Amino acid sequence: MQDLPKTAVQIRTLNKWYGAFHVLKNIDLHVQRGSRVVVCGPSGSGKSTLIRCINGLEAYQDGAILLGGTMLGSQAKATALARRQTGMVFQGFNLFPHLTVLSNCTLALRRVLGKSRKEAEDLALHHLRKVKIPEQAHKYPAQLSGGQQQRVAIARAMCLSPRVMLFDEPTSALDPEMIKEVLDVMIGLAQDGMTMLCVTHEMGFAREVADQVVFMDEGRIIEQASPKAFFGGAVHPRARMFLETILH
Amino acid sequence: MGFDPEFALSTVPTILGAIGTTLLVAISSGLGASALGFCFEMVRRGGGTAGLITRFLIDFIRSTPVLAWLYFLYFVLPFYGIRLGAMSVGVIGLSLYFSGYLAEVFKAGIDAIPKGQQEAAKALSLGRLDTIVFVIAPQMLRNIAAPMGNYFVSILKATPYLAVLAVPEMLGRAFDVASETYRYAEPLTVAGILFLALALVISRAVKRLELRLFKDSSH
Repeated sequence: MQDLPKTAVQIRTLNKWYGAFHVLKNIDLHVQRGSRVVVCGPSGSGKSTLIRCINGLEAYQDGAILLGGTMLGSQAKATALARRQTGMVFQGFNLFPHLTVLSNCTLALRRVLGKSRKEAEDLALHHLRKVKIPEQAHKYPAQLSGGQQQRVAIARAMCLSPRVMLFDEPTSALDPEMIKEVLDVMIGLAQDGMTMLCVTHEMGFAREVADQVVFMDEGRIIEQASPKAFFGGAVHPRARMFLETILH
Repeated sequence: MGFDPEFALSTVPTILGAIGTTLLVAISSGLGASALGFCFEMVRRGGGTAGLITRFLIDFIRSTPVLAWLYFLYFVLPFYGIRLGAMSVGVIGLSLYFSGYLAEVFKAGIDAIPKGQQEAAKALSLGRLDTIVFVIAPQMLRNIAAPMGNYFVSILKATPYLAVLAVPEMLGRAFDVASETYRYAEPLTVAGILFLALALVISRAVKRLELRLFKDSSH
């Protein structure tokens, strides 16, 4: 692992428009390997769009995104390989409803990485154990609770051994009592040293595991600080206002 | 001259003898129309010039009578050196005609799949073909099982069009019996009942399939 670049994700003056609407404005962000970045901000601030640009779900018009030193879009094959090193967890889980939990996890292992069924299943079960859900391996997503589904989604993403995990409001669609089980899994990942970029409003999580909090508003990063500094006294009035409303 | 049940029964073996042809045409056309319709929909979905042409083609197919297709394939193509057998023309004609409708069914079935499914597939780096085969198609199938069943019944009911090409399918055979004996009620009734029975079998099979496809969810 010595040869890995120290910067996992590097975003340079990124700009994105939806038609005439300027969603991302001159975004600069460096995510060090092994670090945990929490992105927060009011809805419509562009935070989900930003995270979706990083793994190529959204196109951008200007600037550059580098994943472990590879510039996205520079070369088709290199881009595909770089994208494969990101795992994505969605707000709505997006599990495949027609496949069992186990098959959800093994599909990409078999089709993308070309692993044998046995190899893929062993690896999938390993990750399902990590999210504490191995006994549900043969059930279908609809038979699980929301919290369980999201934990499966995390295991599914982890199966491809990503170097960066991207979370797009992973707990926003969950009932309050299920949020904790998902956050616990994410804290576990953080403790294992996973590089994480997480859009969330769970400020307790940010305080506990983040080493950097990024605050976005109207498509800009307007504050970027350690959680201690951010929660201790955000500089920007918009960020202070946001914190006041969300911490109540 | 009333309905003679005994005569009706006596026509059954002759008419039933054509059930193989009817089934062969119906099944081949059903498969052909499904495959072609799915390809049409995939190309249309892909957009670009090919998508635009396909969109026009689908509309064109749907707006022309099936008989026109059969006549065209059978009587016009030979002028251009393409001579196809009556059976082939029948199967190709019905496949083409129904592919236009099935493309619409596939479209609705795919549109009903949440966008997050494709995104999840993309996030997992699944290729285009793998995404279609392992993520989209299976979910599409359960969305469209019922309308597909209806179209399979429609295809079955369209097989008598092949009478114009003298393909010996069930209704054609029944009509032959009628013309020979000058008794129309019995053979046509027998053919009608046989078509009804086949249609019921298809409906039941589709119901079964639907139950299997939905076994994994709370539907």
